[in-house]
Amino acid sequence: MSILRPMQVLDAEQTMLDEVLTLLPPSLRDILSNLPVAIKNSVEEIRVRQGRPLMLGLAQRDGYVSHQGAILDSEVGAYQVSATDIERVTQLVSRSSLYALEEELRNGFITLPGGHRVGITGKVLTEQGRVKNIKYISSFNFRISRAVLGAADRVLPYLIAPDGRFFHTVLVSPPRCGKTTLLRDLVRRLSSGVPELGFPGATVGVVDERSEIAGCYRGVPQREVGPRTDVLDACPKAAGMMMLLRSMGPTVIATDEIGRQEDIAALEEVINAGIKVLTTIHGSSLEELADRPALQYLFQIKAFQRFVILGRSRGVGTVEDIIDGQTLRSLGVKLC
Amino acid sequence: MLKLLGAAAVVFSCTLIGMTVASGYSRRPMEIRALLNALQMLETEVSYGATPLPEALALVAERCDPRIALLFNRASEELLTLRGITARESWETALKEFYPKSALNRSDRTILLELGNSLGVSDREDQLKHLALTREQLKLEQAKAEDDSQRNTKVYNYLGFLGGLTLVLIFI
Repeated sequence: MSILRPMQVLDAEQTMLDEVLTLLPPSLRDILSNLPVAIKNSVEEIRVRQGRPLMLGLAQRDGYVSHQGAILDSEVGAYQVSATDIERVTQLVSRSSLYALEEELRNGFITLPGGHRVGITGKVLTEQGRVKNIKYISSFNFRISRAVLGAADRVLPYLIAPDGRFFHTVLVSPPRCGKTTLLRDLVRRLSSGVPELGFPGATVGVVDERSEIAGCYRGVPQREVGPRTDVLDACPKAAGMMMLLRSMGPTVIATDEIGRQEDIAALEEVINAGIKVLTTIHGSSLEELADRPALQYLFQIKAFQRFVILGRSRGVGTVEDIIDGQTLRSLGVKLC
Repeated sequence: MLKLLGAAAVVFSCTLIGMTVASGYSRRPMEIRALLNALQMLETEVSYGATPLPEALALVAERCDPRIALLFNRASEELLTLRGITARESWETALKEFYPKSALNRSDRTILLELGNSLGVSDREDQLKHLALTREQLKLEQAKAEDDSQRNTKVYNYLGFLGGLTLVLIFI
């Protein structure tokens, strides 16, 4: 299909938004293509809510969008999203096939070609207490996924031992601090090898439960994930890790947002099998994590060797600290 | 001799006209039957395959009766252009192109247009209901079309031939 173009390096920013624009109805597309280039490059979210103004989430703030595609600070003069807009967006993001997306709607998001994600809310239908479907869709949140090639460069030296082995690593970060972006770039670098650190390319298995890491569209990664990477798309983490362990012979298993009890059990098994683990956890500090019952066990056995703490203090993807898992001491990294 | 030749030509051409009109009547039930089959295929794609609509339509176009393939083919092409149009609009465009070339009548067209309103916009169960409803309505039309065809095919075939003969008699 024509929108399935391969990932491009670094002129990426412009194309990223354009990829999403092809999936918006002409009314919204025209407005957003008039945005100033600087804004286009920093759009992180497009918020489309029925009967409310069209909004953009930018790097540091959010703003209303006028009919001419200018960013406004107040609601006055902002473009109001109509019911027709919503109907069209629904059809376009679902490729006119809502019936084929029941599983996705149950999870509340759809992955688009290019690895972007659309969050969806509306009236939820339940069956025996479980979410069955979403009807009367009323809000969309387009999250523009950006591949920041090179995001991993600054942290890699701390994650690879002098003898060229990769440490079990956890990225700890509050939401929207570039956790997945860093994870993706780490996967890419590990997969293709880091010669300057004496790390040969490793087979990486990725369990991509929320289709965020590799941004698979029909099973094919849309993001640059490296030549030795296998992706289990939309697979539950615990089951996926076991599948990879048995079938694909990975050296590193990467996965996103560990937290449930079964994930922890699977992680332990992976570590016991001698496979290196690269994962992320929601949170802002180690102390906070240590209090979580599910994680306590992993902390006790000192399963992880490196903690990378992310934040936004100096923009998205700021590496606040890197902590040694054995001594729980900072490696003295304050990067910008 | 020349008179005889002329007479034969008149009878022959009138018979042809009669047969053309008659074939319009006999084509309609066939096309409706083909549509019923095609919609059944679409239903299968939607319910078992959960195939996205553009691909489902293209698959149906490949496998259905070539006489109605145009409708599904065009609808699928329109959807794949990504110009920001909805399934209903692409279905309407396709129908607008297909209808003049088909033997369908206006009530058939109305039924198909109504199907367009619901294509792709709801969950699986709902889609199946709409497809089933369309097929039920088309079945009724099919019965009528077959009736019409049985009655009119013969009538127009004879009418053409006999009309030709009458003309010849008048002119002679």
